Amino acid sequence: MPVVTYGQAIRQAYEEEMKRDKDVFLVGEDVGRWGSLYRSSTGLLEELGAEQIKDAPISEAAIAGCGVGSAMMGMRPIVEIMYIDFITIAMDQIVNHAAKWHQLSNGRLKLPIVFKTQGGAGRRNSSQHSQSLENWFVNVPGLIVVMPSSPYDVKGLLKSSIRNDNPVVFIEHKALYFEKCEVPEEEYLIPLGKAEVKRGGDDLTIIATSWMVKFALEAAEQLAEEGISCEVIDPRTLWPLDKDTIVESVRKTRNCLVVTEAPAEGGFSGELSSVVHEHCFNELERPVKRLCSLRTGMPYGPTHEREVVPNTKSIAATARELVGKEAKEELSC
Amino acid sequence: MTDTGKSLDLELHKQMLELRLFDELCRNLKLKDLVWSGYHPYEGQEAVAVGFCGTLTRDDVLLSTHRPHCHAVAKGCSMRSVLAEMMGRTSGCSGGLGGAMQFLDVDNNFYCGSIVGSNLPIATGIGLGIKQKKMDRVCVCMFGDGASNTGSFHEALNLAAIWKLPVLFVCENNGFAEAMPVEEFVACERIGTRALGYGLEEIVVDGNDPVETRSTALSLIERIKSGEGPFLVEAVTRRVRGHYMGDPEATYRTKEEIERTKREEPLKRSAEKLAQQGVTQDQLDAMERDMQREMDALAEWASNEAFPTFEQATDHVYIPLEGAAACQS
Repeated sequence: MPVVTYGQAIRQAYEEEMKRDKDVFLVGEDVGRWGSLYRSSTGLLEELGAEQIKDAPISEAAIAGCGVGSAMMGMRPIVEIMYIDFITIAMDQIVNHAAKWHQLSNGRLKLPIVFKTQGGAGRRNSSQHSQSLENWFVNVPGLIVVMPSSPYDVKGLLKSSIRNDNPVVFIEHKALYFEKCEVPEEEYLIPLGKAEVKRGGDDLTIIATSWMVKFALEAAEQLAEEGISCEVIDPRTLWPLDKDTIVESVRKTRNCLVVTEAPAEGGFSGELSSVVHEHCFNELERPVKRLCSLRTGMPYGPTHEREVVPNTKSIAATARELVGKEAKEELSC
Repeated sequence: MTDTGKSLDLELHKQMLELRLFDELCRNLKLKDLVWSGYHPYEGQEAVAVGFCGTLTRDDVLLSTHRPHCHAVAKGCSMRSVLAEMMGRTSGCSGGLGGAMQFLDVDNNFYCGSIVGSNLPIATGIGLGIKQKKMDRVCVCMFGDGASNTGSFHEALNLAAIWKLPVLFVCENNGFAEAMPVEEFVACERIGTRALGYGLEEIVVDGNDPVETRSTALSLIERIKSGEGPFLVEAVTRRVRGHYMGDPEATYRTKEEIERTKREEPLKRSAEKLAQQGVTQDQLDAMERDMQREMDALAEWASNEAFPTFEQATDHVYIPLEGAAACQS
């Protein structure tokens, strides 16, 4: 099976979907000649033409509104917002229009728009180019929110998002574009609203999103050597949330750690924690723990950036606090 | 419709009168608390709606604002579905869930919303769709002088201009952005001048003259269909009433200004013009009486329509995903 990067997997999804359906088009800053910031649309302008690959000026409100309007006319826009930090300029269109107009049309109007962006730290971009703002969108009825954590997932989820008739906020991670994994040559889709158990285990369920999945898996590997067996779940679609997979896992492991890159306060980690408490209260050995980025603007430079965000070491340490030897002994007293 | 002379003037008068009476009906229902939310009276601006909305076909797309009801009726939406929506009834075009300033009539390609300036970016997308799918349609985007101060105005005008989109942007300058006089909040003398910054023509029309608004709309729509779009037009009119029903008008309007506005409002001007052409006041009164009877019947009908059920309040938030978690819980 070919090994491809996250960025290449996105390009494959674009190419397949745009050839399959001429109404699918990509619009955004530098998506054409440049081939997107992380090269996820390289060469597509030449291959597919300017009707499907549209370079737009630095006008996020207009680009997002262009998505809404063109969807109303039967097109299937992929609206690229170069950094999630810039989505603040486009919020009005996403929140007040894309998320509302299907309902206000009595279900008549479809708005199949993918608002595709990337967030998170890891590239030393400081606080206006490194945020994790997914929480905002989960809280808006009418939106679907997707955060893929691997090349395989990004391709399958992007293809499903493009074919979906709801507006989707599709959030990639800037530190993942050059990650590699096997991606099949034959076509596949990953359904929206389905979590994946990335690693099976018995002692602790770690629920992690986006970049954090990589560190959770690394931590699980280390912990396994210490005799702690972790199950790692990636919700993949933040909304709708696949609660069944999460609940089933926690009922088995009886312990849960939630890891997100967004700060904890008022965020999606709290939603995950609530879901577990509401559904697994009687099975839980201890309250759910959350490990999230510190409540600060992302510091510039590689050292601090990696320290304020959860990492393999801090995930492993928190897992030990929950289900390590001492914790187990304390529980049995 | 005859394109010139008395019969055109009479027809346009009739159209404006219908909008005036419909607006008055909504106002009375608002006073009875049967229309809720921010009801924004349209009185005095009818010549703009008749010209720029009344000339559109059903296939043309109209984007309106938080003051939408007369735009909708002029576009061809049924008064029943618009009024029922304003009264929150299920037979309204948004099922009674949108209300007086945000409703969609998909069959008639009418869309409005209550965020000032937001419809201009959407117009670019509609224009792009029309252009790429090679449809014989135009998009008209109505907005006020207040919207011309938003970032969305600038972003959308620039995008429409560089991509040469089939959109007619109509700035309905009614003299006030809520309570603030336009001359205090717009640095240039005419909003129409802003078109020059996007490489477009400066077009300013008398928004209280339905013959001028209509002929401008028809000629610009023809030019847009032949690929000359987009255009920005400033239609200069005056709002007769407050921003919303019962706003503190005395804090921002003078008696003289209100008197002048009423002297120059389009229906009065139109009646005077028709009088010169030999149309008697009796004829106009008879026309109004007939229309008023229709309005009364309309209100009677809408008042008996059902409100949405509690279950309907959560309908159509999502298109359900097959085999996945429920989207609403």
